Amino acid sequence: MNRTGSLYAPGNSLFHRLDGAVKLVLFMAWTVMTYMFLDLRVFVPMLVVGIALLVTAGIPFRRMAFLFWLMIIFTVLNSIFIVLITPTFATRLTGTDTPVIPLGYNTINSETLFYVLTLSAKYLTLLPITILCIFTTQPSAFAASLNRIGVPYKIAYAVSIALRYIPDLTEEFRSTLNSMQARGMGISKEDGSIAQRIRNLAAVVVPVLQSALHRIDSVTNAMELRGFGTQKRRTWYSGKDMEPLDWTMAVLAVVLLAAGIWLKVQVLRGFWYPFS
Amino acid sequence: MQPIISFQQYGFKYKNQSEPTLKEITLDIYPGEKIWIAGPSGSGKSTLAHCINGLIPFTYGGETSGSLKIAGQNPSESSIFKLSRTVGTILQDQDSQFVGLTVAEDTAFVMENKAMPRPQMKREVAASLNRVDMLEYAEHSPYELSGGQKQSVSLAGVLSTDAEVLLFDEPLANLDPASGRKAMQLIDDIHRQSQKTVIIIEHRVEDVLQQPVDRIVLMNEGRIAAIGTPDEILSSGVLHGFGLRPPLYVDALRYAGVPLEGVSGLRLPQRLDIPDLKEKLDHWCETCGDVSDRKTAAPLLEVKGLNFGYEAEHPVIKDVSLRIGAGEIVALLGNNGAGKSTLSQLITGILKPQSGELRYDGQDIGSWSIRRRGEAIGYVMQNPNRMITQHMIADEVGLGLKARGVPAAEIKRRAEDALKVCGLFPFRNWPVSALSYGQKKRLSIASILVLEPKLILLDEPTAGQDYRHYKEFMDFIASLAGQGIGFLLITHDMYLALEYAVRAVVLSGGRVIAEDAVAQVLSDPAVTEAAHLKETSLSLFAKANGLASPERFVQAFINAEKKGKGHE
Repeated sequence: MNRTGSLYAPGNSLFHRLDGAVKLVLFMAWTVMTYMFLDLRVFVPMLVVGIALLVTAGIPFRRMAFLFWLMIIFTVLNSIFIVLITPTFATRLTGTDTPVIPLGYNTINSETLFYVLTLSAKYLTLLPITILCIFTTQPSAFAASLNRIGVPYKIAYAVSIALRYIPDLTEEFRSTLNSMQARGMGISKEDGSIAQRIRNLAAVVVPVLQSALHRIDSVTNAMELRGFGTQKRRTWYSGKDMEPLDWTMAVLAVVLLAAGIWLKVQVLRGFWYPFS
Repeated sequence: MQPIISFQQYGFKYKNQSEPTLKEITLDIYPGEKIWIAGPSGSGKSTLAHCINGLIPFTYGGETSGSLKIAGQNPSESSIFKLSRTVGTILQDQDSQFVGLTVAEDTAFVMENKAMPRPQMKREVAASLNRVDMLEYAEHSPYELSGGQKQSVSLAGVLSTDAEVLLFDEPLANLDPASGRKAMQLIDDIHRQSQKTVIIIEHRVEDVLQQPVDRIVLMNEGRIAAIGTPDEILSSGVLHGFGLRPPLYVDALRYAGVPLEGVSGLRLPQRLDIPDLKEKLDHWCETCGDVSDRKTAAPLLEVKGLNFGYEAEHPVIKDVSLRIGAGEIVALLGNNGAGKSTLSQLITGILKPQSGELRYDGQDIGSWSIRRRGEAIGYVMQNPNRMITQHMIADEVGLGLKARGVPAAEIKRRAEDALKVCGLFPFRNWPVSALSYGQKKRLSIASILVLEPKLILLDEPTAGQDYRHYKEFMDFIASLAGQGIGFLLITHDMYLALEYAVRAVVLSGGRVIAEDAVAQVLSDPAVTEAAHLKETSLSLFAKANGLASPERFVQAFINAEKKGKGHE
């Protein structure tokens, strides 16, 4: 997280230029697509497109590394558990059983291996689009576009104001924790048992919470004195108007989603297993 | 001429209080005036500001009496939004005031709320930022700005509203001396160019008076205690009675026995037209300006050649050495970002230096943990509310001992001792919430003292306190120093350093650029400029009046202040 509190990584790729609300629509369409299918023939193209978009966005890998590895580890663990606990699970989907690796208590069959591959692809499909949405959207521009698609501006602004003050609060939390540590109520090993350390952490919450409440009070005053919340609508400095590109992408998202639904209903109904 | 703000026999009582906070206020403020409302904390000056900008009655309810008209209208028949078109407010806390994620967004906030079309908004934001000279920072986030810059942005936001009245609520709080001077200058420029009415609420006298004001309104206990021009107020000598500190040279003149009735030009440290002034003052300097011989105390903490950087290629602390003796008060001065807080974190062990040595009482403490150092070196944060976690006073003080597994009986004894030292013993069974800010500040000291450290780091110990509380607290610290505890004051308050510290260490860009007697350091223009400090008004005054030795003048003042303390 950078010091502005947002994860925004500046750039000028296709995704950077897209309107925040359009990105949200794309993201939702993408997610629905992913959850509808269990078919590698759908996931592979989606993965390829996703990765291509991610690469062109030029987000430094360092910035997204945490999210990236989190997803990879989750997927790998998930696969291992499925294979070990239910080695013949996919038989229920395909009706066939081709034993491959004997485990002693059971035998892993190739259907399940392929199922796990498909499932991993499914989860990983979500990775590039999630990273793209998080890292290419300026929070205030996002608030503006949320407002445009009908979210009341007071709620939309809450997103922006939270991001504004989260770094302040974390800083306060850290400095309070430091002063507590010097008094012997820190959260490091020498400060006692795990339970004691958790209690110490909880104690720090009191002053930080108090200061947060105080902060809310004065921010509210500042906002009111500057006319927030008095009009029915407000405009946004950081927003921008919908451009042809945005419309195109929004329409594209809807068309693709419709095509996906048609595919799901008509052609690719269930789990695709090519070897039976 | 019609007053733009008119209080007539006005009174106000907050909903949940039994006593009115404002009583019989009668005050007319005319368009184009520059008014300064001064008074100690609790005098009602902030409440008066709330009445002007509409927070009363729209956010804080209560009962009013008498009448108040703003631009000819009764504010309670208006709305906070309509009022904001007449009165633009800049709040004390720059971080709360700054709600946008970038400079440009924050400036646009009012326009956004007025639903101004975006192209027009972009133009007006650029124009407003240009007026306060902040256009090049338009895309910066608040974390990249100094306090003074944030304030300029707030000013740009208010200027864009075309409000006729600009209300500044403690504009100097949280600013270092150099930024404070710039802020006052900017306010004055805007006032002269735009002819707007300017109202400043402040308790720092000398800093406000760097620029002319038309009238000073002194508040005390909810009433207007005096109204007058700066000369009238300064020469009458009433400020001390209201917990405010006159400019230092005015006090010095008084100590030297120079009569001030009818003297004009006291607002600035400049040449005064008083017969025999130079002779009188030179004589005073000669008799009272001796430097009291400083005992060299045994070193308690020695910092030698400390280097630190979060990344090795960007050091933030460079070869810093300093020492603090037992019972010494040393001031660590420097602007924001000079490395003051990093250095204190290195001393308390929160950060580990890349190289250098830390010795406490002769021992190398480089390998000591934070917890172990905490028993030797206490650290007191600026805001006591950030340190207090317990509900009851005695529990809060005993907390550090409890965490160290000290038996209950001993905790009780030591906590009571600490509370006695801090003058809080009678309150030991009270809840913390019953204490005032100043008492909480003492409580935070007590909860550190209980661990029996020999050295205490105080971070901005007097921030946000008026002169009376400031003096009370610092005299208390001085008495602790008298008992042998060493103090490091981390501050950008020069007067605090001047009066209470024996030595000052000045940090700039992570380096120690000066270490000497405070009066000496603050008379050196090269040092004060690099560290965003100011040359003291005392030495400026001495130079302007051609005194033989400005240093002796400063010293004579410090000696007189110290003697004054004995009489109280």
